[in-house]
Order: sequence, then structure tokens, then C-alpha cells
Amino acid sequence: MSPAATEAKPLALLVLIAAQSFCAAFFLWDVAADGGALGWAALRSAHFLIELLAALALVAAVIFETRYLLRLLRRKAHLEEQLGLAAGAFHDIVTDRFQRWGLTPSEQDVAMFLLKGFGIPEIAQLRGSAEGTVKAHLNGIYRKADVTGRGAFVSLFIEDLMSGLPQDRG
Amino acid sequence: MRTYRIWDPFVRLFHWSLVIGFTANAFFIDDDSAQHEWVGYAVVALIALRLVWGLIGPRYARFASFWPRPQGIRDQLSDLATGRRRVHLGHTPLGGVMILNLLGTILLLGLTGWLMTTTAFWGVEWVEEAHEALVLWAEFSIVLHIAAVLWESLRTGVNLPRAMVTGRKDMPDNARIAP
Repeated sequence: MSPAATEAKPLALLVLIAAQSFCAAFFLWDVAADGGALGWAALRSAHFLIELLAALALVAAVIFETRYLLRLLRRKAHLEEQLGLAAGAFHDIVTDRFQRWGLTPSEQDVAMFLLKGFGIPEIAQLRGSAEGTVKAHLNGIYRKADVTGRGAFVSLFIEDLMSGLPQDRG
Repeated sequence: MRTYRIWDPFVRLFHWSLVIGFTANAFFIDDDSAQHEWVGYAVVALIALRLVWGLIGPRYARFASFWPRPQGIRDQLSDLATGRRRVHLGHTPLGGVMILNLLGTILLLGLTGWLMTTTAFWGVEWVEEAHEALVLWAEFSIVLHIAAVLWESLRTGVNLPRAMVTGRKDMPDNARIAP
């Protein structure tokens, strides 16, 4: 994909999300107005139920797209200068693990900086937060990854690299 | 903790007058009364003044300082996605989008409201429906605006509602300030 296309993607998605949110809000309002007018009888009306389902499906789509957009932005935030395939593949494995451990977006960001070799003061400065906050994130990361500290955490990923990336194996 | 003077007296007076005018017309004043019309025109006059102020006012009141750009919006969204904390002195890019949306919506509200009083459009259905749809859109936008202000305040530790009253923003020492 050309750089221009990757640049435009999050914004196009954002516009789509905004438009769909507007439609979802409109349909939900319409459903609520119908429900208010019909009362409990609404639940026996096929037309009302289909309308309700359509509105809820639209809401689900908006939630799904928002999650996808946030993931896309997180990826871009960490891969800004690295366009190599290997960097992208390794990054995917790393974020996949982060998600399996259930790291929060902030913890994922801190963990990524940790892998890149930044110290606590540097991470705090990059993220615009206090060092205490970063330490709290680190504790969360080590606990969820079930390791004792930085060395053990980093070696989890070194192991992957040494045994070949999982995609190559399968 | 560093304190910055951001919102000038006119911007604050405009903001809270708009709050009062819109709330009064949307919820308290009878839609068919002459008072509804006068409050509506007063609100339009306020917005006209704000538009002029946006060209000649102090730095943070100017449209040039908060006109949203794709790059700025993308950066702000990335901050949200990664949980990074970067504070903006004036409006954030997404905040700028909301300001323009609200100013435009309320201007259109005034326009459709005025059209209803003219002989050419009196009793024309689409004008009235447009007016009502715009009210709904404005209310939806305002709820979103308030939710975003509260969330941004909690996220960045800068008390934004108070800044719109006192005009000052207190920035935490370690906060990174967006250019």
C-alpha cells in the first residue's frame, strides 16, 4: 500500500464511523419514539422488531469499527518509521500477545516502549505521564505476563525470534 | 503546576450566554411565542459576534488557532488509542470540529426559525421539520460535547469546565503540551 493510502485510511474510517453513528442515533431515536407510541404492543409488531434489530446491528458495526480504528492507530503509532515486512510481522505477534494477556491500551503502549529499550523516565516523558503511573503500568504488565521483571519479559519475545516467527513454523 | 490564561472574557460570556439561550428556547419557552423568536435572534447575533471575534480576537479565540486539520485529528486519536497524555492549550482538534459543528447547527437553526416567520415559507412543512431535526442534532451534539469535556478533563487532569469559567487552565508539571 502506498504511504498516501495508509495515511488516509484512519481518517476515512473515522468519517465512516461518524456518518454511521449519526444514522444509528437517528434510527435508535426513531425506534424509541415508535416504542413509546406503541407501548408493550411494540414487542409483537414484526416491523418494530426488525427496525430494532437493524438499529442494534448498526450500533454493533460502529463499536466494531471503532475498535478496529483504535487498533490501527496503535499500530501506526509504533510502526511510524518502520515499513519493513519483518517489523510489521513481529509487531503483530507482539500485539497479539499483549491482547491475550489482556493489557489495557496504556499498558500496551508502555510495554511496546519497554521492548524498544526505553527506561521509566523516558517512557513517562514520551507518554506525558508521571513516573509513578508508568511504574503502576509496569507492575500490571509483569503480573499479566506472569514474569518477574524486565529481563524475563523481554526474553519472552526473544524466544519467539530465535525459534522463528510462529507463522513460519505453521 | 503551571497556569495559562486561555479563554478571554468575551469567549466565556459568549459560551454561557449561548448555553442559557439554547436551553431556554429548547426546553422552557413556548415554541410559538414571540419570546422564542427574540431569544433565537439574540442567539444568532451572539454567534455573528463570535464569528467576527474568531477573526480579530486574541490567539486562542481565533479560528486559525483551532481550525481542525487531518494531521491534528489523527494525532489526537492516536493519543486516545495508546492512552498517551498530551494536553492542548486551546481547543483540541476534535474539539475544534465540535465547535464548528455547534456554531453551524445553531446558525442553521436561526435561519430555519426565521424562514418560518416569512410569508414565503410560513407553514411550509420541510422548513419546520428541518428546524426540529436541527434541534435534535444540536441536543445530541451538546450531550457529546459535555461527555467529551468531562472525559478529557479526567484523562488529562486539566479541569476544562472551570477553565471556561475562570479562563485559566492549570497544566500538570509533567504534561506534554501539544504544539
